[in-house]
Amino acid sequence: MTLATSPDASRARATGASLRLAILLFVADPQWLVPSTIAPIVFGLVSFELFRGEGPYFLTYAILGAGMMSMWGQTLYGSGWATGQDRQLGTLEPTIQAPTPYLYVVLGRIIWNVIAGLFGGVIVYLVVVIAAGGPPRLPNPLLFVVLFVFVMVTLASVGVVFAAAFVYSRYAGFIQNVGEFAFYIGTGCMFPVILLPFWTNPIALLFPPTWALDALRYVSIPGYSGFGWGWEWDLVGALAVTGVYAAIAGTVFSRVERHVLETGNLSDY
Amino acid sequence: MSDDLAIEVKDLVRVFESRKGFFYREKTRTEALKGVQLVVRRGTIFGLLGPNGAGKTTLTKILSTLLLPTSGTVRILDHEVVEDAHWLRSRIGLVLGGERGLYNRINAKENLRYFADLYGIPPSERDHRIAEVLERVDLVWAADRRVEEYSRGMKQKLHIARGILHRPEILFLDEPTIGLDPKSARETRKLIRSLVADGVTIFLTTHYMFEAEELCPRVAVLSKGRIVANDTIAGLRSRVGGDRTLEVEAYGFEDREVDRLRGLPGISKVVGEDFGPLMRLTMRDRTGETTPDQIRDLLVGHPELSVRERRTSLEDVYLDLVEEEAR
Repeated sequence: MTLATSPDASRARATGASLRLAILLFVADPQWLVPSTIAPIVFGLVSFELFRGEGPYFLTYAILGAGMMSMWGQTLYGSGWATGQDRQLGTLEPTIQAPTPYLYVVLGRIIWNVIAGLFGGVIVYLVVVIAAGGPPRLPNPLLFVVLFVFVMVTLASVGVVFAAAFVYSRYAGFIQNVGEFAFYIGTGCMFPVILLPFWTNPIALLFPPTWALDALRYVSIPGYSGFGWGWEWDLVGALAVTGVYAAIAGTVFSRVERHVLETGNLSDY
Repeated sequence: MSDDLAIEVKDLVRVFESRKGFFYREKTRTEALKGVQLVVRRGTIFGLLGPNGAGKTTLTKILSTLLLPTSGTVRILDHEVVEDAHWLRSRIGLVLGGERGLYNRINAKENLRYFADLYGIPPSERDHRIAEVLERVDLVWAADRRVEEYSRGMKQKLHIARGILHRPEILFLDEPTIGLDPKSARETRKLIRSLVADGVTIFLTTHYMFEAEELCPRVAVLSKGRIVANDTIAGLRSRVGGDRTLEVEAYGFEDREVDRLRGLPGISKVVGEDFGPLMRLTMRDRTGETTPDQIRDLLVGHPELSVRERRTSLEDVYLDLVEEEAR
């Protein structure tokens, strides 16, 4: 008699197991220390020097700029790459062969990447605070923290799409690398989207992080005008677009899974 | 589907389409499986033999829900393999083996724990079961070592441990002893036998004829996407012309001598092969009437003539069938 339970019963455990595995693999591989620990320190120091003296809220600018720089890669690209790594290791095939739908495995990795991204954000915060000799002036610290976490969630929602792309094809890494900087600049990770040519704005609004980052800037930098509709509408927009991403994720994954079972390319890398 | 059947395959076709060339405009179509039919009874070991590229892995992946068939029906444990894939995945195990397929930077226990959770093995039984399968594949001593430190044989054992972790009713083993040293291969075969004793149905693909002969009461030969034979070992022997094989070696034979050998009683087939200056004629003896002395009498005058008789091996049968298909 099989010991395996039904796929429905094992979904939450699969997500938990995937999160646990992501932590174990992170700890086991020293190369991840660079993007997760050393890079945020460097970004924090560089950002502090770049923004130093740029008005009363320069510390907030420095933290947001460096924080996003260190978090977006960890959360968004880390989520996609986790599946790419499964392809490379040849573990995608046995994972898909398990009864739990692969989406729940991806969710576990994404949770870890959000945590790791936040860890990078905290390091940036600490570096900038230590360099400045004190914390930044935040008009609404609680809202700042909530939106900071929410930005991570929106980055992760795009990460799910990248994860699906990695299941779909071994060439997803190529697409991800090509789009890396376009996405980074286009969603406002580096500087507000409103500074970019107007025609790029509607495209940028298709991505949840654009909305969430705009909201975060609203609540942390007094006088910031952004898209001009206030952080509340930014939040509504971010929730709506993230919801759409979440809704299509399940469909995309089941279709992608069917596609790879048709093409038989699960073991290619 | 009868209750005692574990696997039933009817008219299974699998076509791979790929694109190549400038802008991927050139489409290629490869028919990997061409109307495969087979049944496997519960609690038995079924061997699938075939040369490289015959379609063995494709068939194994379809049966284990990792690949969709193009047409035909596949029923596993009386469930349709496409529609009921998620249900079936908890009841079947797959061992593809090789260097890949494991998380190398963590240890064996953690690898197994991860997959135990993906299979939803109850937490109360999980650790005990992990210890049990590690014991079964003789990896307890290395359970806490990172997989990257494992030899090929140890990795293969870990693949098997993962495959049986959730106590599957059917285990698919794709060339489980390939690349293993003789001791590890023997241990793996022993393990396979013990699994069958526990009631597990084994679907085994292998290149090693002695392995199939030792383990499988029934084997099928897949060649160019078709099952060219599906029988018991004894049935296959009789199909290719008998249980007894005679081998004659000398420095060349004349055509009329070969014709005379063909005319001997019970001889069903004479095949020639060159070994440097030597030529070997291999003959299947259907009735056992022809003696080595009769052959020596026919070939009198050949210096260094050697005549040997032996039991027709599964390898002989396999080569005959694959050559027949190639013609």
